[in-house]
Amino acid sequence: MIKVDKVSRNYIAGESVVKALKKVSLEVGDGEFMSIAGPSGSGKTTLLNLIGCIDSLDEGEILINGQQVTKMNKKEKTEFRRNNLGFIFQTYNLIPVLSAYENVAFVLSILNVPEQEIRERTYAVLKEVGLEGMENRRPSRLSGGQQQRIAIARALVKNPQIILADEPTANLDSKTGEEILKLMKKMNEKYHTTFIFSTHDQMVMDYASRLVLLHDGNIVSDERR
Amino acid sequence: MKFIITLAFKNLSRYKRRTSITAVAIAVGLMMYLLVDSILIGAENESMRNLRWYETASARIHAPSYWEDRMLFPMESSIENPDAVLALLDENGWKATARTVFTADMILYSEDFGEDGNMNVLVTAIDPETDNDVFHFSDTLIDGRFLEKGDENGILIGSWFAEDINAKVGHWITLVARGNGGFYEAMDMQIVGILNCPNPNVNRTLLMMDKDTAGYYLGMNQAVTEIDVLLPEHEDIDVEMAKIQAKIEASHLDLEVHSWKELAKDYLAIAEAKRGGTSMILFLVFIIAAVGISNTMLMAMYERTRELGMMRAMGMSDNNIRLAFLIEAGGIGFIGAVFGIVLGLLANLYMVNVGIDFGWMMRDLDMGYRIQSVFRGAWSMSSFIEAFVAGIGLSMIVAWIPISRALKMDIPSCLRHQ
Repeated sequence: MIKVDKVSRNYIAGESVVKALKKVSLEVGDGEFMSIAGPSGSGKTTLLNLIGCIDSLDEGEILINGQQVTKMNKKEKTEFRRNNLGFIFQTYNLIPVLSAYENVAFVLSILNVPEQEIRERTYAVLKEVGLEGMENRRPSRLSGGQQQRIAIARALVKNPQIILADEPTANLDSKTGEEILKLMKKMNEKYHTTFIFSTHDQMVMDYASRLVLLHDGNIVSDERR
Repeated sequence: MKFIITLAFKNLSRYKRRTSITAVAIAVGLMMYLLVDSILIGAENESMRNLRWYETASARIHAPSYWEDRMLFPMESSIENPDAVLALLDENGWKATARTVFTADMILYSEDFGEDGNMNVLVTAIDPETDNDVFHFSDTLIDGRFLEKGDENGILIGSWFAEDINAKVGHWITLVARGNGGFYEAMDMQIVGILNCPNPNVNRTLLMMDKDTAGYYLGMNQAVTEIDVLLPEHEDIDVEMAKIQAKIEASHLDLEVHSWKELAKDYLAIAEAKRGGTSMILFLVFIIAAVGISNTMLMAMYERTRELGMMRAMGMSDNNIRLAFLIEAGGIGFIGAVFGIVLGLLANLYMVNVGIDFGWMMRDLDMGYRIQSVFRGAWSMSSFIEAFVAGIGLSMIVAWIPISRALKMDIPSCLRHQ
């Protein structure tokens, strides 16, 4: 379970201070498929980054499964992310010189998983996301949708408790975007992995089982479906 | 670890052109280093050899009072019984020859030289029968003949000296010198041979005549000013010197031995200073290579900032990321070093066997080197190893700074980077 408690985050922009999040509180249960929506600058990505332990807050605290992640030092945060969190990015962020297989396998490599197990788990997850037979292709030889599937496979392969996706469909056409959402939903149901994704796309919001709306750094609605 | 190495090497092939350009810069830098180093070692080795072969021999024996006034070439401070010393040295297996060196006023005549004139010269009187056991002048004769024992009028001249005064074989000169005891004596000498000595300092000033003839004119009574000794090149000079000194003292001869290193102190000091100067050149060569590598790594880091952010978000430690980039930089260094070594080998092959002719420069310029024209390189295994290790090591060291800078960025900034 994720508990976000009165979290504030400010950014310095020139001489002014931008209040990205203003004492935001939120609880996310295990296995939720939650969307954080809102216009640009509302604080969606900031909230995701804070939950993902890749940004530091100014006020409040965040607990993930009872662990106070905001109190962790850099090394502890890195280890926590490595073991517990998966990320999906709007621009996929795949390593262009590596094949689809290598892009996914690297996550297990840094967890020191044995070679044989890496092979089995990587092939299995690539098959699951519909990329069987494309394991040796480099990202440049795959479509945007296929690249995002690799990114999903990369996030899923280590069986994380939480996957954070920042606008996962923003770079895809609506049909491909819907396929990706269906895939994420399927994985959520199958593995009971918590999915938190930011979006301002109505279709993505419709797929979410919980929709949190942010505006100017405040939660303005929190709707469960 | 396997992933880190795979990633590093795959990234090497990612920007082939940039990797190639940087590797070429490193290769050219290392080749330049090897080339300069080879020329310097070659020049120094040859200079030292030419010093011993044509100037100083391995060691020189003097009367004790000679050393202090050696720049004045005092004939009064001579070795009275050179034959005893030569016999002693010969008994112990050391080759040696006696010489008398004196200053003179050389008078030139218009019949031979076009106009009358005179100049101060340094004359070396040698024993033609034994001098070539220690020195190597007999190999340098380019015109006429070498001196003979008891040659009454014959004199040899260095080829550059001959060119300067327009001297030819058969020309007559007169030497006026102060003899042992203070009287002045004139010697009419005929140039019988021209020597092209590889040591430019000698070739510029060389005048050589028979020791017995000089001794007769200068009233030396068999005395000589020096005895030059040849020592095996592989022997420790200091040890051999100590042995000679001990033998001389045991024979109750009041003489001093000086090694060629003492005799050529000025040259060795200049060579040492040159080494410092050339280290700067080598350092600059390395700086150029370092800037190339640093720039490549900086560009690589800049272009991959988002990728870096992703890897850090996924939980890859900064140390592992740094290691991947360092291996990549080391890989560029390795490619550059391999090519640099190959280029260096080829360039050095030419330098060792053919060399570069700097005769046009050395003719009128005294750089201290005892080389007349062709500068040849020398093989130095340690320089090749140094260059190879430095190529890789330097690449990794200069990559450290841009990597560390990139790792200081926070992850969201990395992920937002365009």
